[in-house]
Amino acid sequence: MKRVAITGMGIVAPGGSSPSTFFDALIAGQSAIRRLPSEFAPSLSTRIAAYLDFDPTLTFAPPRLRMLDRVSQFALVAAAQAMTAAKLELSDDLRARAGVFVGTGMGGANSVEAGYATLFRDQSDRIQPFSVLLAMNNAAAAWIASEYQLRGPSLTYSTACSSSAVAIGEAWRRIRSGESEWMLAGGSEAALTLGTMKAWEALRTLASEDRDDPAASCKPFAKDRNGLVLGEGAAMFVLEEWEHARRRGAPIQAELIGYGLSTDCEHITRPSVQGQADAMRLALASAECDPSEIDYLNAHGTATQANDTTETAAIRSVFASCAEQLAISSSKSMHAHLLGAAAAIELVASVLAMQTGIAPPTINLHHPDPTCDLDYVPNKARCGLQINRVMSNSFAFGGTNAVLVVARHLTA
Amino acid sequence: MSTFDTLCKILVKDYAIAAESLTPDTTLASLAIDSLGVIELIFAIEDRFKVSVPDIDATAVGEFGTLSELAHYVDQLLANRDALAVAEPSGAALATPS
Repeated sequence: MKRVAITGMGIVAPGGSSPSTFFDALIAGQSAIRRLPSEFAPSLSTRIAAYLDFDPTLTFAPPRLRMLDRVSQFALVAAAQAMTAAKLELSDDLRARAGVFVGTGMGGANSVEAGYATLFRDQSDRIQPFSVLLAMNNAAAAWIASEYQLRGPSLTYSTACSSSAVAIGEAWRRIRSGESEWMLAGGSEAALTLGTMKAWEALRTLASEDRDDPAASCKPFAKDRNGLVLGEGAAMFVLEEWEHARRRGAPIQAELIGYGLSTDCEHITRPSVQGQADAMRLALASAECDPSEIDYLNAHGTATQANDTTETAAIRSVFASCAEQLAISSSKSMHAHLLGAAAAIELVASVLAMQTGIAPPTINLHHPDPTCDLDYVPNKARCGLQINRVMSNSFAFGGTNAVLVVARHLTA
Repeated sequence: MSTFDTLCKILVKDYAIAAESLTPDTTLASLAIDSLGVIELIFAIEDRFKVSVPDIDATAVGEFGTLSELAHYVDQLLANRDALAVAEPSGAALATPS
């Protein structure tokens, strides 16, 4: 089996539009959650989200922009950052078998909704000519493949909130097996639309706005947690076969060493301890790694009642006596839940945690919950750690649990 | 404003094309407007001129050599539309016998 290096990372996320600015905000405990400025916000019962101040006209010329849904815009910008960071010179041979795997939960939600608004609200009898191309779920992957002329597989994984963990994990498998020399993989989400937010609201899973501080509304693992906060953004990675990366002197950021995948079959939304634990065990097994060797765990930690209690029990089940010593945090307390892009941006946080020896905190954790009784790095980042291996958890409605394990790369 | 001028306005606004580069002899191909771009241009023409381009003509629009030919085609659509409006002043289904 081949080894897999991460040689480039790119991110457009709440709190930062580069890996370092994103991570700096996390370790400073800064929340990117704010009141939505959208016109429709007054009709929402919860008006908070982690939205991006993103001006696509700075990157894309008008004719191209009209073909790109926001989800593709984010993905293209993140991919460009990752490609620049990887310093990969693309020969025809390198393009031939390389591909793009993108995870997204809602795809071109903005374009779908704009089309419906034109038809149903404005009573028009026709919608924008590129609606299909904007809205199709595989658009982001297709545009990236086209941008870099990558002629291998371009696939879109949609497993709700674990989508990008699956995209990254499947790309890892492809390189590990020798089918591709390198891949672009990650996730993108742009679904802060009226329809999507109303749908989440109806499911009664969204956090209510904190009375004193809207930015403090997402409270993972706390007794007073009351739901998730939605966010938008993207992160993309250049994954590269280890020897290939070494030979060309690539800037290796970390090694992707494990991936575990399982499915809960009990219920469409209720998480299962066994399902989550299975995914963590499989990830450890593929990484040939003992639970005691994980130094930091970036939790799924959505701040729903069900997830945080279940995830705590699953971590206890897998890590046994090591669970108490494990530093665990939910960075979602700051960047919110990016659904299909969540795992990708959390992998950026995981890699930088290893490089800096700093575990990002779980903010807003002032009232401990007896059913969530592990070390969640409450409220303040923890510095001066030796973080050699990180596990990153992603679970999903529909039950697809995906867990990634990364290892620190020690430069010679 | 002439049909040609209106077409130029659409091209300048939607395609970020410099106004001074547009002449009656300019071709769509030289503006890098491909088959998808033509679909979009037809949509804009329908919106701006309040005409309907039949599907059967959609390919033909892309094959027009120059902007003046495209303007001529749009003028024909406008003339047909106006003729129909005279024939059916109230929009009634029955045409007046001539």
